Amino acid sequence: MMTNLANWLDERFGWRTVWETIFRRKIPKVNWFYTLGSATLFVALNQAITGILLTLYYVPSPDQAYATVQFITYELPAGWFIRGLHHYGASAMVVLSVLHMVRVIFYGAYKFPREMTWITGVLLLLITIGFGFTGYLLPWDQKAYWGSTVGTKIAGTPPFIGDFILRVMRGGQELSEVTLARFFGVHVWVLPVLLFLLIGVHMYLIIRIGISAPPKREKTDE
Amino acid sequence: MEANLEKKDVNRKDFLSMAILAIGGVISFAIGIPAVAYILGPALRKATEQNWIPLGLASKVEVGVPTLFKAKIEQKAGWITNEQELTFYVLTDNGRDFVAMSNVCTHLGCRVRWVEDQEQFFCPCHNAAFDKQGDVVSGPPPKPLDKFEVKVENDQLFVLGGGAA
Repeated sequence: MMTNLANWLDERFGWRTVWETIFRRKIPKVNWFYTLGSATLFVALNQAITGILLTLYYVPSPDQAYATVQFITYELPAGWFIRGLHHYGASAMVVLSVLHMVRVIFYGAYKFPREMTWITGVLLLLITIGFGFTGYLLPWDQKAYWGSTVGTKIAGTPPFIGDFILRVMRGGQELSEVTLARFFGVHVWVLPVLLFLLIGVHMYLIIRIGISAPPKREKTDE
Repeated sequence: MEANLEKKDVNRKDFLSMAILAIGGVISFAIGIPAVAYILGPALRKATEQNWIPLGLASKVEVGVPTLFKAKIEQKAGWITNEQELTFYVLTDNGRDFVAMSNVCTHLGCRVRWVEDQEQFFCPCHNAAFDKQGDVVSGPPPKPLDKFEVKVENDQLFVLGGGAA
């Protein structure tokens, strides 16, 4: 019965081909370092789920942001757990992305024909750092406020355009409610859309080209 | 020999599939169950506990006339503490035993007021009337005005409320 239904659906969706293409593709003999990319993807999924849960209570307004974070952490059942997963997941994602890149660099996996996989990966790292930067302000406590004050100040150091960059980031000369609102908007709308689009491209390239085998020692006797 | 090897290979794949499924299931539950608790938390919270709310001096209550008292209580649904004003009519027939009534009409929640010359509580929304004891005289209300427990300490009037009031 279930098999019949599955067959009927497969005739129409062709999902088995998709499944086979994604999960049954041929891969060379690899090692555990090759799981770092999947680990990063897993943490990204964790960030998406816990992040959506946090928006159920978080309010990005200077007079409420801190109170809502306290409410989530100390009053809601398992709120500390959801927030903790998002908080530590953020650090884990940066660490795992970098380790994944280190593996790609040392194995030379960024070379032809995988240059675009590498480039989308670099963009993904930048987006991840953007997530970390904008998310840092949202709890609106002393650490967040001064961390973002310093962070935006650093972004404002380039000559000529520095002050303009700082004003765009802060939404004015000072760190304010404008800054909090736009950091929130970027954190929950702009960056997630970019992240998942680029993950799509990154994964497509991995599946289309296949992953590289670990490089072998070349014969030295000419 | 070759058949054996192939069989072993399939078993390994099956084992890994099952392991992935099991670990995935454990992780889903580890996040899923706290997530449900987290979402339902405020909905399942019990009404705040009732407190003795101080109203004012008991000697201000005229014998035989419902007297209006107002009290402020603090309420918190989530992370914002709101001050809410509650209104009670306090009635005494002998200056010792007191009855406190809500001024909220039991029909649809409008505020009733005491009309002195008719000796009735009147609700402007649907022309309902309650007598001095809060029982329905006319109009649509299904039950008498809500009553609250009262106590007097050193001429100070208290009513027990706050939770659902």
